[in-house]
Amino acid sequence: MKFKYLIYITIIGFLFSCKPEVDEFSLSSGSADFSTYVSIGNSLTAGYASGSLFRSGQESSYPSILAMQFQKAGGGNFVQPLMEGEFGILPGKLKLGYSTDCLGTTSLAPVPDQGQLDAIAPIGYTVNNMGVPGAKSFHLLAPGYGSLAGVPLGLANPYYARFASSEQATVIGDAIAMAPTFYSLWIGNNDVLGYATSGGVGDTITGINTFAYALNTIITAMNATGAKGVIANIPDVTAIPFFTTVPYNALVLTQQAQVDALNAAYGPLGITFNLGQNGLIIADANAPAGLRQIKSNELVLLTVPQDSIKCAGWGSQVPIPDQYVLTETEINNVQNAVSAYNSTISQLASQFGLAHVDMNGKMNDLKNGLVYNGETFTSTFVTGNSFSLDGVHLTPKGYALVANFFIEAINQKFGATLPTANLVEYPANELP
Amino acid sequence: MRKLTSLVLLMAFVVFEAMAGGYQVRLQGQKQTGIGLIGTPFAYGASSIFYNPGSLSFMKDKYSFSAGVSPIFATAVFRAAGSDYTAETDNPTGTPFYFYGAGKITDDMSVGVGVYTPFGSSVTWDPDWAGQYLIQDISLQTIFIQPTVSYQINDKIGLGAGLAIATGGVELNRSLPSPVNGHFNMSGNTTAIGFNVGLYLKPSEKFKVGVDYRSKITMKIENGDTKFTDIPSALAEYFPASGNFNAELPLPANLDVGLAYDFSDKFTLAAEINYVFWSVYDSLIIDFKENNERLADSRNPREYQNSLIIRVGGEYRISDKLHARAGFYYDPTPTNEKYFTPETVSLNTMAFTLGLSFMPVEGLSIDLSYLQLEGLEDDRTYEPDNFGGTYHTRTFIPGIGVSYSF
Repeated sequence: MKFKYLIYITIIGFLFSCKPEVDEFSLSSGSADFSTYVSIGNSLTAGYASGSLFRSGQESSYPSILAMQFQKAGGGNFVQPLMEGEFGILPGKLKLGYSTDCLGTTSLAPVPDQGQLDAIAPIGYTVNNMGVPGAKSFHLLAPGYGSLAGVPLGLANPYYARFASSEQATVIGDAIAMAPTFYSLWIGNNDVLGYATSGGVGDTITGINTFAYALNTIITAMNATGAKGVIANIPDVTAIPFFTTVPYNALVLTQQAQVDALNAAYGPLGITFNLGQNGLIIADANAPAGLRQIKSNELVLLTVPQDSIKCAGWGSQVPIPDQYVLTETEINNVQNAVSAYNSTISQLASQFGLAHVDMNGKMNDLKNGLVYNGETFTSTFVTGNSFSLDGVHLTPKGYALVANFFIEAINQKFGATLPTANLVEYPANELP
Repeated sequence: MRKLTSLVLLMAFVVFEAMAGGYQVRLQGQKQTGIGLIGTPFAYGASSIFYNPGSLSFMKDKYSFSAGVSPIFATAVFRAAGSDYTAETDNPTGTPFYFYGAGKITDDMSVGVGVYTPFGSSVTWDPDWAGQYLIQDISLQTIFIQPTVSYQINDKIGLGAGLAIATGGVELNRSLPSPVNGHFNMSGNTTAIGFNVGLYLKPSEKFKVGVDYRSKITMKIENGDTKFTDIPSALAEYFPASGNFNAELPLPANLDVGLAYDFSDKFTLAAEINYVFWSVYDSLIIDFKENNERLADSRNPREYQNSLIIRVGGEYRISDKLHARAGFYYDPTPTNEKYFTPETVSLNTMAFTLGLSFMPVEGLSIDLSYLQLEGLEDDRTYEPDNFGGTYHTRTFIPGIGVSYSF
């Protein structure tokens, strides 16, 4: 009898030993409603990467990744104005490739990637992702910004022209027409980046009053629909590899004769050179003789022609043109604007009950590196996993990280429990 | 000796998985397994070579042999922190085994040899899972050969000692994160030596006490093989297709103290504590023979802590031909809360055991055991890689063995 009993226990034991489980993640949208999500922003929202907006980049845009997580908590379909191909509507896409410089040294670097461009033609359907590459804050309110007829004249944005509902439509008007229950807003980057990426000469910084007016109008209009939302602030330029990759002391002198010649030439201006790395000579209209040596806290842009530094005397005999340098004054202009924008964003977020993503803080954290699942994210160009080959926009992995920052803020503000995206699934820059 | 060598070679392919308590596996006798894995206060013949060499000299017959195997079916599940992402191991079935042979040289002295597998681990996650940069799969194997001598000082005290010759190997696979995006494999084998000493006391016919100490053994792998594959050509010079490494994996010392009391001719209750000196596992350092600016030695903190396992069990002798056993134990995790890696999913574990011995003829015993372990669901993190989530493990281990004495 006892033997039989033992067999029963053993059988029960085997039944009990089916596979273990972990408590399921409890999904909740909290006080938010994700059924119709609209994302509003610029190239970062569109999924722009490596100098272009193309299909696979759009598919890894942070709004697309967010929408996938929203769908687990009641979110609906999310439509993007997808390109047909992998090269977008304008040239400029970059890939990693080997190139040989003027000294005959071959190295791996971003090089132009040429392929079949898509036509700039209306797509004919409405979209949830209203990310428009190039858009500044006030553009989102400008009628005709998506005018197809205006594109060839340079009066309208070709990316918006693809999905604008009419010649006179506004981005915000089209966003409201989607009847969103939830929206994300990340705008203002181009309000300073146009200036910063042209070395402070090619564009102006949007004044804080204009920016604040535009943002207030946008949020007031969006909230009037009853939608809830999340807003992200603007990262500082010193967190973006476009500005931090080329060192200020990129002038490498290897021969004493070079050093002596430069010292002889620049001695009267009080500039001295040594073997090894030296601060570049830059153009500065305010300096005596219209040139000076760069300061260690000034930034040389990623677009500076490296060959000209190596072989054509740029930064030594020839001052680096202003368009490739952000001087101390220019950096201050940018940082003051970013700081004013960010206090406006923070103030509007609390006034309108929006979740607030401190993207500036997060991007600053990247300078020291963030680790998830054994992968390291830094702001290092090409190999830092966060930034794509243009040094401004993100990799799919970087956009997934940004999506997780949004999720963190949304969960906190609305008491939701959205699951974070699995970063491991998204690629970064792939080396050949 | 020739036979023994071929047995070892045959079994060199055997793998098994961690059940609990780091990578220690204590399935060295089916009778002991059935009674909560308690071994020190018993004189179950030749299997005392592992559990307590001091009681070997108390074997009743002139010769005693014992062999067995315990297939391990273990599964770990994981859910990432703050996410609905889940993963599950697909571990190969492990088969720890043992073989013991012993004989009495004189009335009070016995000698014997045991071959057993006290440490091992085999964990296989999906190669593309979220923890692929920590571990894809690992297999750790050890086989111990232990010649042993045991001396019965009087009818109350037995002492024994054995030399433990440990041979083993490890192989692991990891994915390398972007921008490398490649794959890393390492494998190596080694042999090391330790010892096992035991004291067996019989204060009365009914009351038995056992103390056993098995020493730490450091498995030093020298010139193990490393392989980097799928490396982008731009980085190939930094990650050689083949190379060598050195590493050390400590197998911790164990101090076991057990008591058994015969409440009647039919019924015995026993309890045991095992103090496992896990703190020797401080870090896993993979020392690459050739380093470069992108390939530094891999230092992985583990900082295990000593642990105390508490066991209780009982044996009921239904008849001369049939003995039944049951037991329970609690095995707290030795892992550090900052450094819990999915390579050894060792949670606080509760286990129950059942055992049955059938003795059809004098001297022959067919021993069955069943062990089920429940690794209690818990949130754990490996901080250096910021990898954490909820883990849960379940393991079941049916065992079969045979003992023969004459």
